Amino acid sequence: MTTPDPDVRRARRTSLNEDWAATIVGLVLLTLVLTGLLPGWLVP
Amino acid sequence: MGAPATERTRTPLGWALGGVTVVVALAAVTRWLEQTVPDATEGTAFGDFAAAIEYPVYAILLGLLGNVVLTRLGLRARLSGGFRTEFFIKTGLVLLGASINLAVIISAAGQAILQAVVLITVVFGFTWWLGGRLGLDDKLRALLSSAVSICGVSAAIAAAGAVQAKKEQLAYTASMVVLFALPSIFLLPVLAGALGLEQPVAGAWIGGNIDTTAAVSAAGAIVGEQALQIATIVKATQNALLGVVAVALTTYFALRVERGAGEATPTRSWGAQLWERFPKFVLGFVAASVIATAFTAAVGSAAAKPLISTVNDLRTLFLILAFVSIGLEFRVAPLREAGWRPVGVFACATAVNLAVGLGLATLLFTGFAG
Repeated sequence: MTTPDPDVRRARRTSLNEDWAATIVGLVLLTLVLTGLLPGWLVP
Repeated sequence: MGAPATERTRTPLGWALGGVTVVVALAAVTRWLEQTVPDATEGTAFGDFAAAIEYPVYAILLGLLGNVVLTRLGLRARLSGGFRTEFFIKTGLVLLGASINLAVIISAAGQAILQAVVLITVVFGFTWWLGGRLGLDDKLRALLSSAVSICGVSAAIAAAGAVQAKKEQLAYTASMVVLFALPSIFLLPVLAGALGLEQPVAGAWIGGNIDTTAAVSAAGAIVGEQALQIATIVKATQNALLGVVAVALTTYFALRVERGAGEATPTRSWGAQLWERFPKFVLGFVAASVIATAFTAAVGSAAAKPLISTVNDLRTLFLILAFVSIGLEFRVAPLREAGWRPVGVFACATAVNLAVGLGLATLLFTGFAG
């Protein structure tokens, strides 16, 4: 294969990292709400 | 989603935080407008119109306005590290999973997979063929075909990695995706209403047609909650098939396009490549549905309802952040540089996607009860 364009490689890596970050943040927020640690009045 | 990936070079953390601050500030204005304007205009000539405007409209318009202002001030490119559309929308979609009973996902999965497979095959094939007829570069054809048939910029990024495309081709494809997605956010809900489509059918049509996941959510939210849920399930299914297409493209380019130039074939297994390219947020979306469904069964519907309502408020916040970012990220410059032929290919592919998608959505989702 030809050498990947560094910008494209970086974009791909960022996209993969954001996938995991979004999954973790979303599930953590869900857990905080369901366990009562993040009350409704805190969410605008 | 916007023109993100390639324009964003490494920006210092301070600038990126500045970008996030801009997004949050515009999201706060969106929330204020959404909650204030309908009450403030009630009883006036503008009242009915204002009541019909949903939050995606305010968010995208404010994002575009911010885009113009920041561009004029020469700050937009520096702040763009904070315009994290992908992160915001995927977090919002994981949270959306909590409001969908697992039974709905399971009952819609068969239709969603069938629609996604047929739609991706037809639209990808048509775009690849038309791009070839108009003499487009093979790598650009691959990016355009992936973007229009699967899931917009995410697919273009995966395809760019698979076929070793140039950053200009990725920037161009990303800009075109947003150029077509922005009007679709408003047009498809209007068309769905004019055609009298049921919410599940409208949702499936929107999910199968609009390229970017953020724009799918915006259009789905405008139509209604059930449309948003089905649109998200359909789009998440298309996202999940992204890995399959990326691996197929990698193999095709290695074996057919680049072998002629004496290039080596890829060494990693198909399984490893599939997993690497699988959109992990889809797992989070399903996990959130499993957790919320089990929680509701355990504590009872009455106790779970206010908590799920708080999760829905959080989801709306993240969707607003994503919609603002779409507007902030949009760029016209790459489109000007590429000429009319790729735009023509993309427009024709979008028309085919609309027609085939409407047929499939009507066939598969009419009478869907969830």
